[in-house]
Amino acid sequence: MRRRAAIFFAAMVPVCAAQAAPGGTLRLTAHAIGSTLDPHIAYLQLQLQVSATVYDGLMTYPKAAGPVTGGAIPDLADVRPVPQDGGLTYVFHLRDGVRFSNGKAVDVEDVAASFRRMFKVHGPTAGSYFGVLVGADACLKDAEHCALAGGVVADPAQHTVTFHLTRPDPDFLNQLGFAQAAIVPADTPAHDMGNEAPFGTGPYRYVRYSPNGGMTLERNPYFREWSHEAQPAAYPDRIEYRFGLDEEAEVSAVENGQYDWMGDGVPLDRLGEVGRRYTDRVTISDFPNIYYLALNVNEAPFNDVRVRQALNYAVNRHAMVIHEGGEALAQPACQMLPIGLAGFEPSCAYTVGAAPDHPAHAWKAPDLDRARALVRASGTAGQTVVIVAPAGATYLAIATELRSTLESLGYVASVRGINQAVQFTYIQNSANHVQAGLTGWIADYPAPAAFVQTLFSCASFHPRSDNSINMSGFCDPAIDALMDRAGTVSMTDMPAGLALWAQADRAIMEKAPAVPLTQIRRIDFVGPRVHNVVVSPVYQLLLSQLQVR
Amino acid sequence: MRSSSSLPPGPWAVAIRALARDRASLVSVGVLALMVLASLMAPLYARYVSRTDPFLSNVAGQVQIDGRAVDIMQPNDNPLHLGLSPIGPTGRGAYLLGADSQGRDVAARLLYGGRNSLLIASAAALLCVVMAGVVGIVAGFFGGVVDAVLSRIMDIMWAVPVYLFAISLSIVMVSQGLTIGPFTITSDNLLIPIVIIAIVYVPYAARPIRGRVMALRNSEFVLAARGLGVPSARILLRDILPNVTGTIVVLAPLLTALALLTESALSFLSIGVQAPAASWGTIIQDGEGLIYTRPLVAVAPGLAIVIVVLALNVLGDGLRDALDVRETSRRGH
Amino acid sequence: MLMTILRRLGQTLFVLTGISVLVFGVFFATPGADPTARIAGRNASPQTMAQVRHEYGFDRPLPVQYATMMKKLFVTRDLTSYVDRGEKVVPEVFKAAPVTLSLVTGAAIIWVVVSITMGTLAAALRGSWVDRGLMMLGLIGISMPVFWVGQVANLLSQSRYHDTIVFRWVPALGYVPFTESPWGWFKALVLAWITLAILFIGLYSRVLRADLIAVSGEDFMRTARAKGLSPTRVLLRHGLRTSLVTFVSLFGMDFAQLVGGGALLTEVVFGLQGVGRLTYQALTNLDLPLIMATVMYSAVFVVIANALVDMVYIVLDPRVRDGRA
Repeated sequence: MRRRAAIFFAAMVPVCAAQAAPGGTLRLTAHAIGSTLDPHIAYLQLQLQVSATVYDGLMTYPKAAGPVTGGAIPDLADVRPVPQDGGLTYVFHLRDGVRFSNGKAVDVEDVAASFRRMFKVHGPTAGSYFGVLVGADACLKDAEHCALAGGVVADPAQHTVTFHLTRPDPDFLNQLGFAQAAIVPADTPAHDMGNEAPFGTGPYRYVRYSPNGGMTLERNPYFREWSHEAQPAAYPDRIEYRFGLDEEAEVSAVENGQYDWMGDGVPLDRLGEVGRRYTDRVTISDFPNIYYLALNVNEAPFNDVRVRQALNYAVNRHAMVIHEGGEALAQPACQMLPIGLAGFEPSCAYTVGAAPDHPAHAWKAPDLDRARALVRASGTAGQTVVIVAPAGATYLAIATELRSTLESLGYVASVRGINQAVQFTYIQNSANHVQAGLTGWIADYPAPAAFVQTLFSCASFHPRSDNSINMSGFCDPAIDALMDRAGTVSMTDMPAGLALWAQADRAIMEKAPAVPLTQIRRIDFVGPRVHNVVVSPVYQLLLSQLQVR
Repeated sequence: MRSSSSLPPGPWAVAIRALARDRASLVSVGVLALMVLASLMAPLYARYVSRTDPFLSNVAGQVQIDGRAVDIMQPNDNPLHLGLSPIGPTGRGAYLLGADSQGRDVAARLLYGGRNSLLIASAAALLCVVMAGVVGIVAGFFGGVVDAVLSRIMDIMWAVPVYLFAISLSIVMVSQGLTIGPFTITSDNLLIPIVIIAIVYVPYAARPIRGRVMALRNSEFVLAARGLGVPSARILLRDILPNVTGTIVVLAPLLTALALLTESALSFLSIGVQAPAASWGTIIQDGEGLIYTRPLVAVAPGLAIVIVVLALNVLGDGLRDALDVRETSRRGH
Repeated sequence: MLMTILRRLGQTLFVLTGISVLVFGVFFATPGADPTARIAGRNASPQTMAQVRHEYGFDRPLPVQYATMMKKLFVTRDLTSYVDRGEKVVPEVFKAAPVTLSLVTGAAIIWVVVSITMGTLAAALRGSWVDRGLMMLGLIGISMPVFWVGQVANLLSQSRYHDTIVFRWVPALGYVPFTESPWGWFKALVLAWITLAILFIGLYSRVLRADLIAVSGEDFMRTARAKGLSPTRVLLRHGLRTSLVTFVSLFGMDFAQLVGGGALLTEVVFGLQGVGRLTYQALTNLDLPLIMATVMYSAVFVVIANALVDMVYIVLDPRVRDGRA
C-alpha cells in the first residue's frame, strides 16, 4: 500500500511543476574539486556540465532528454552548414543579436580569434580535432604566432566564418559541438585563465570561483533565448556550487534539503535508503559510456588473440553489474559502441552459445569451457598478469573480480591500484608495459567515431607517450580502412554509414583488444525544493532547467 | 653496573619476576598470544568453518542457510530496484559476521587481516628498533661530526608530521614499487609498509637511545675503561650495548603499537596493504562504504586494533616499571 | 646567545632546504608522475604535449626547474598547480589554514583541560581505583585509531541515532566558517574536536601524572609539606607548576605538528578542508606544486616550534642544550 502511495505521489509532481516561475537560488554539492574555468582547456565532467550553461560554440548538442541521433545542431551559427568542395569547406553564418556577458555582440572576428586561441593556450583538442584546419600545422609548431591563415576566414560583411580543411573530416561538425570549441571574445588573453572565466554567451556567468571551495553563477544579463533546443533560457537566478563533501555526506545533505542536487552518484550503501524513501526524487538516465578492460595487444599473454577472446568469454558481466549497483544502474556491455548511440547494433560475440561469426543479441552468461579451451590452445596458462586499476573502491572491486576470473583460467593474476589521477595516463604509455588496464570512456561527443575510432585506430596509438588513448596499442589496417570508409559514407548517406560503423564495431570485437564490461546509468538525486529534472546524455542534468520551489 | 650484573639475581631476572607479578601485564601477554593464535588459524577457519575463499570476489554467489540457497548480494527492497546489500551476520559458520561489498566472508578476512596487521606491526617495530639502535648508538657514542650529520637527518624527518611522512612515502612506493639493483619489490609486497613504518619512527626511537648512550659515554666506568686504553669497539660491546637494551626492550611493544596504528591508517587510505590481501585497516576501509547498512564490517576490525594496541601499551607500561626505565617515547597522531 | 640563535636559524634553513630537495627529487623519480599529459588534457596530440612540456619547463635540467619552483613559491608566490591549471597554490594553503587552526585549537583546549584534570586527580589519588581507572581510560584513548573513532562518531551521529534527541543537532559533515555563523562553526567542529583530543588526553594525563609523582619526591615539595601546607595545595601550587614545563614543551611540538597538517586523518573523516587534507589530496593527485607548498608550510611550523622549544630550554637551562637534538 505504502509503495503504491509513493508512485502516486511521484505522478503528481509534474502537475505542480507546470506552474513554476523562474527565480531562486540553486544549491549544488560535489565531492570533486574544480579545474580551470578556461573553456578551451577544461575537460573534467564537472566543469563541462557547468560550462554548458555559460558558453556556446558554433554547434552544440540538443539540451534535452533522450538519445542524440542526428548529430550536432547549430548554436551560434544559425543553420547547420552543408560541406562544400567534397568536405573541405564549411561556411557558417552567425546568428544576429547574441551578446557576451560583458554586453559585447558576438561577431565573426570573435569566432576566428577563439579558434586561434585554442592553439595558443595548447587546448587538448586543438591538435586532435582541429589539426585538419589549413594552417593548423604551423600553429601546433609555433602557438604564439598562430594565425590559422587560410584555415578560418572571417567575413564581417557577410557575417560568415569559413573553415578550410586540409582533408575531409566526417566528424568536423560534431567536434565543433564539443565544449572546447567555445566562442569567447576576441580580446580574451591568450593564456590559461585559471580561476578567471572568460566571458561567455550562455544564460549564466561565473561570479565567484575557488577550485577547492566552490563556484557561484548568476544570470548573464545580456542573454536572450535564441534556440530552446541549443541553449534554453534558465530558471534559477543563481547557482551556488560547493565542493568537498564526500558522497555519504552529500546524500544526507540532499535528503535533508540542505542541498538541491549532488554532483556525484549515490554511494552503493545508500541506494536502498534513497530508492525506498525518496523514490520520487531519483532520476535514472542512460548516456553513452563504456567501462572496459584494455588488453595490451603488444604484451604477453594478450598478444595472442585467443587469450583476449578467452577472457571475453570468461568474464562474468552479471557480477560486474552487481558491483555497479545492480541492474537499475548498469547493464552488461559486450561491444565497444554503447547502447543508445547512433550506429549501435546489438551484438554479443562472447557469451554462451555465441561466437564472433554468430553473435548473440545480448549477454547471457560466461562460457568458461570455451575460454579454457582457448587458453589451452594458446599455451599461455601459468603466465603472470597484472591488472592496473584506478585506486577507487568500485574500480578495485571490479579489478579483483577480473583477477579471480584470470586465476580460474590458469593465470597468476594480481591487481595493482594506482591513484586515479595518474592511472589514466599511466596505462596509456607503452613504456610502462601495462598488460591490462581497467578504465572507462565517456566520449567528448556522441558519435561512433568518438568511441571505436578514437580508442582503436592506428592514429591514436602513440608509442611511449602518456597521451595515447588507444591503450591496447591496437592497429589493424583493414579495420582502420573500414572506419575511414564509415566516416566518409556517413557524410552523404547516414544510414549506410552507421551500418558500416556497426560492422567496424563487430570487426574490432572479433580481435578483442578490450573486454567491454558494463555500461552504467546516471543516477540524479535532487532535494525536496527542486523539480523539472531534465537529463541530457551529453550535458548530464541540465542545471539551468531545474526549477526551485 | 658491570659488576652488578655478576651478582645474583641479575637485573633481567628481577625484571622478569616483577613482570610476572604484574597482573595487567600477564593479561596483556595472554590477550596478545590469543590474537596471534587466532590469526594463525585463519586458513583453517576459512577452510573448515566459513568454507569460502576470502580473497575471491563472490558477488554473484549464493550461500546455504538452513538448507536454503541465499544470494550473498541481496537486492534492496525499493520500487526502483536500486542497489544490493551484502548478506548481514548469519550467526553461522559461513558469513558469521556477514559479507563485505565484494561478497567475501568478513570473519575470515578479519583473521587473515590480523595476520598481516600483526606481522607488519611487529616486523616494522623490530626493523625500526634495529635502525634506531644503530643510529642512536653511533650518534651518541661517537658524537662530533657523525652525531651532527645524523641529528640533522633526524631533524629533517622530525620536521614532517609522522603520518604525513608515512603517507608521502607510501604513495610513491605503492604507485611504483621499489627497485634496488636486481631486486624488485612490487607494490603489493608487505615489505613496503614494513619499511616505511620502520623508517618514520626511527627518529622517535633513536632519540632516547642516543640520550642514554651519551649519558653512558660520560659515565665513570666508561671513562675509566677509556683511561685504561680499552678499544672503542670493546667498550661499545661490553659496556654500552648491554646497558641500552633496557631502553630498547621497553620501546619495542610501544613501537609495535604505534606501527599497528600507522599500518591501519595507511591501509585505511588504500596505500598500505593492497587488494586483495587484507589487513585490519583495509577492512575498515571496505567497511566505510557499508557504514550505513553493515556497520559491523568497519567496527569489528577497529575493535581488534584497539584490543591489541591496548594490550601492547599495558605490556609496555609493565616492562617500563619492571626495568625501571623512564618514559621515553613520544608518538605521532 | 646570539650565536646560538643564529646557528639555530642556519640549521632551520638547512632542514627546510633538505625537505624541499627531497620532495622534488622523489617526485621526479616516480614513474607516471610526469604531469605533461595531465596538463595537456585528454587525447591531446603529440605536438600539444611537446608545447606544454616546453611551456612548463619540463624539458629543462632538474636543478633549474627546482630553482624556478622555489622562486615561484617563496619570492613571486605565483606557483600554480599542475592538476588545476591557473590555480595558485599559496592562497590555497592559506585558505585551508583557518580550518585546521579551528580544529586543532578547539581540540587543544579540550585536551589540555581534561588531561590536567585527569592527571592531577590521578596523582592526588595515587594508587586508588580512581587513579587506576583514569589511567586505563587514558590508555584506551591512546589505543584507538583516530580515523576509526571518527567513523564510529559519524555512524552514531549521522546515521544510527541522528533522529534521536542526542544527535539531532549534528549538522552535515563539512566546515562552517566562524565568520559565517559562530554557532554553526561550533556544531560542525565539536565532534571532530573530541575525536582528535582523545589521543592527547590519554597521552598528556599519563605524562602529567608521572611527572607529578616524580616531582612529589623532590626536596622543595617535602619542604612545602613539612611547612604544613595541605597536600592538595602543595600538589596544585608547587607540583603542577613544576610539571607543566614538560607539559608545555610537549604541547608546543604536538600543536605545531597538528597545525602543520598532522591532523589529516581527522580532517579526512570529518570532511574538513584543512591543510592536512589538502596535502593528502595533493599527494594522491601527484600535484607537485601543491605538495611542495603544503609540505613546506607544515615543515616551517614544526621546525619553528622545535627551535622555539629548544630556545626556551636554552634560556631556562644551558645544560639541556646537548640533550635535545
